[in-house]
Amino acid sequence: MSPAAAQPIDTDRLLRDLEAIVGPRRVSMRAVDLDVYARDMWPRLLLAHRDGQPPAHRPHAVVWPEHVREVIAVVKLARAERIPIVPYGGGSGVCGGAVPVRGGITIDTKRMQAMRAIHREELICDVEAGLNGERFERELARRGYTFGHFPSSIYCSTVGGWLATRAAGQLSTKYGKVEDRVAGLTLVTGRGELIETDGPNRALRGPSWTQLVLGSEGTLGVITSARLRVSPAPQLRVFRGFEVDDVAHGLLAIRRVVQKGLRPAVVRLYDELDTLINSLSHSDGSEAASELDDVRAPVPPIDTGALPAWPDPNPPKLGVVERLAKLARGGAGLRAGAMNAALGSSELVNRVFGTVAEKVARRGCRLVIGLEGARIRTEVEAALTFAELEAAGARDRGEDPGWAWLRHRYAVSYRMSPVFRDGAFVDTMEVASSWERLGDLYEAVRRAIGRHAVVMAHFSHAYGDGCSIYFTFAATAPDAASAERVYDAIWRDGLDAATRVGATISHHHGVGLLKAPYMAAEHREAMSLFVAVKRSLDPDGVMNPGKMGLP
Amino acid sequence: MTAGLRTQLVAALGGDHVEDVELGFRVSPGSAAEVAEVVRRAADARAAIHPVGAGGRIATDLDPARVRIFVSTHRLDQVLQLDEASLLVHAQVGLRGSDLEHVLAPRNLTLGDYPASMLASSIGGILAVRTPGKSSARHGFFEDAVVGVSAVLADGRSVHTRVAPRRATGPDLARVLCGSEGTIGVLTSAVLRIHARPEARLVAAYLLPSIDAAVSAVYLALREECSPSGLRIYDAPQAATHFDGLVLPAGQALLCAATAGPTDLATCDRDLVTSAVVAEGGHATDIALAELWWRRVQDGDVHSTSHVQLQAMATPPRLRAVYRAAIAAVPGARAHISRFDADGAVLFLGWDDDTPRAHEAARHAVTSAGGWLLGSRAEKWNSYLRELRAALDPHQVMNPGTLAT
Repeated sequence: MSPAAAQPIDTDRLLRDLEAIVGPRRVSMRAVDLDVYARDMWPRLLLAHRDGQPPAHRPHAVVWPEHVREVIAVVKLARAERIPIVPYGGGSGVCGGAVPVRGGITIDTKRMQAMRAIHREELICDVEAGLNGERFERELARRGYTFGHFPSSIYCSTVGGWLATRAAGQLSTKYGKVEDRVAGLTLVTGRGELIETDGPNRALRGPSWTQLVLGSEGTLGVITSARLRVSPAPQLRVFRGFEVDDVAHGLLAIRRVVQKGLRPAVVRLYDELDTLINSLSHSDGSEAASELDDVRAPVPPIDTGALPAWPDPNPPKLGVVERLAKLARGGAGLRAGAMNAALGSSELVNRVFGTVAEKVARRGCRLVIGLEGARIRTEVEAALTFAELEAAGARDRGEDPGWAWLRHRYAVSYRMSPVFRDGAFVDTMEVASSWERLGDLYEAVRRAIGRHAVVMAHFSHAYGDGCSIYFTFAATAPDAASAERVYDAIWRDGLDAATRVGATISHHHGVGLLKAPYMAAEHREAMSLFVAVKRSLDPDGVMNPGKMGLP
Repeated sequence: MTAGLRTQLVAALGGDHVEDVELGFRVSPGSAAEVAEVVRRAADARAAIHPVGAGGRIATDLDPARVRIFVSTHRLDQVLQLDEASLLVHAQVGLRGSDLEHVLAPRNLTLGDYPASMLASSIGGILAVRTPGKSSARHGFFEDAVVGVSAVLADGRSVHTRVAPRRATGPDLARVLCGSEGTIGVLTSAVLRIHARPEARLVAAYLLPSIDAAVSAVYLALREECSPSGLRIYDAPQAATHFDGLVLPAGQALLCAATAGPTDLATCDRDLVTSAVVAEGGHATDIALAELWWRRVQDGDVHSTSHVQLQAMATPPRLRAVYRAAIAAVPGARAHISRFDADGAVLFLGWDDDTPRAHEAARHAVTSAGGWLLGSRAEKWNSYLRELRAALDPHQVMNPGTLAT
């Protein structure tokens, strides 16, 4: 496997060759396009971008194929010329997976967006990879179905991007992560061949190629369509808020629910710091008071499934501190008045907050839970779920906190850019482990990140065997170079801590460039299996080179 | 050469665990480290490794020019770890599913509502070979219960895929090994999701006017998110075979259902099946039939598989047509339909006149109607599997001849 494209590329010839495949209107080498496709939403790249630095890596060309045969032709061309290919969906990735580190051709899949068929009895939807997530869910809802995948990036991510990264939606406890919902995939491999995995059955012998392509982040081929398992649209939704004494009690309550075989759509437990800050900001503990602050974020009407209204294009003017506080509330919560101190000496603030949270304000932790689905079964399951939570010591706080969460569930993605504009930075680290190790994981990562930044966490995506933890951290630095140093140290220490307690370094954001250096520790000897799969599907190493810790 | 290899194997495993057989040796390593030692010896000697599971069947139709080492996993029968907080069990692959159930049962735990006939195999055998029907409507596909595996690759290295409830760190690397039938590595242990034993188990039996109506009732109930632990549809002739003296009017179907879970949920699921049956023109019948069915299923389901000549899989929309085609193709054919899951269900076909012609007619009818015969290969992936194997096993040590073109 020779790494692609160390040699200079004849761009005039490349342009002619690509025009011959997709025509002159669906290929571009204009600087403005190359700049746009130079990055995704990896926060580290935003630091330099904010400083006005030009992108470090740009593609040589961007193409927008409309048909698989064009994708095949482009990949064959790239393979013959040893030019890298970077598949590109919505560009909402947060790990740099779509950054063209060795240049080459970026294939934007968004013009392949047909929803081909829904097979009623099989509950399978055949859909092209470039379809935008929110449009996909809207089309399904119109026909009485849901895919059940609601990432906060739903407006700006594609079905193909979800599949390539093993994404998770907010209702994953019921519907599963995206890899749990795939009957089969169609992809153009790095050999330039079109091939299907599995199909809607598991009758075929041999390894599950579906599960080998899912999560490959464009390093094996371009996913062009998929056969996805859908569910009938929910007839009933039940949401509630609970309060528990502390994180340990909250986790025990959640574990009891899921291990009883009950499947709430969503369970979220906010740690002490987050809950405390929220309760100081809003005396009633609900998010209703902050509704005005969220005008930037889409607020979906609750009775129509996934279908939020579009964001208001004219947000009100807010100061930096309010923005940061708002941002923090999205994943956790950070009171406005604490922000200056937080950014200055994060370790001290973490400790003070920890002490306050644990020893003074015995207000407990906030837990949000929601169920949805077929009417009769959901009613029965909800009654059992709430009874189990109360038996585990959780105190019912009524429906309001649950509905408030549901209304604002996409808000977090819209709170990021003002923070960056105001000189700070923020990112999230999503790790996961078995229940047995979860407490250790929480303490270890919080301690590791807490040396560099203010850190908050919530627990979401619960399964019978474990759960993920979503850490939100915020910090600041005088310039881009030192901000990058702090940023890198946070990830290095945080992921090392996660690996040491036997957790995985990513639950649903993926690897990309950000976590590539940690793949060896994550997979150890098993990494050779990934390398072998790569050799098989992409023998010339043209597919998204330089990513995921592959050679 | 062969004598030298024998000496090395005896040195590694002890004389009791190396046996001379046709074409080579049968060895019984007692640990993952010993498996690695055997694979290294085999690789050095260019011998071939063939894993042997609980069935103990040794292939003899192999090229005699090459020395063969049949690796029996029966001594790899330990539960390595039981994590009751996370409902995970780490077990060696030589353990049968049913043996593991015996370990779990006193702790009020279970692998899940999987077919007893599947659990009669070793864990390694269940995982190494992908066939439809290793599933339950309540607990999903057994391969999805695999959280991690350990295996020895062709170069003698041991790999352990990382255990996490879910990951986004590249492909699920355990799936390179699961389903690869020993061609990528020798599985030595697996971490599996387990479940608490259900608070309640309920069964029910129903009569429906036709097979079509029974299939429709099943999918109606599943659409309402009913999550049964078992479902089986019998046509009239099959019902007569299975339940001595039971006479159904021609064309009618018997549906047996089992539900489990917290009492309220198990009851809810059973009532959902009942409602669906009524909606399709059926009604409840003698519950003793369902009790007998479920008892037999728990005892290994020998009764129902002993009369089966052909198993076929069909997706939900094809199920009725595949059934009709198969029944029409062979005189006196009868069937039951079982193992409903997200992919479809498995048809178990039987007939009295057991001739090759009848077999051929049934097979042809099933595939023409869009069904799948068990054991089909993913032909279009052949060249990819070949390259994958070449990258990990350049000297073709691991189960050569299997899954090959």
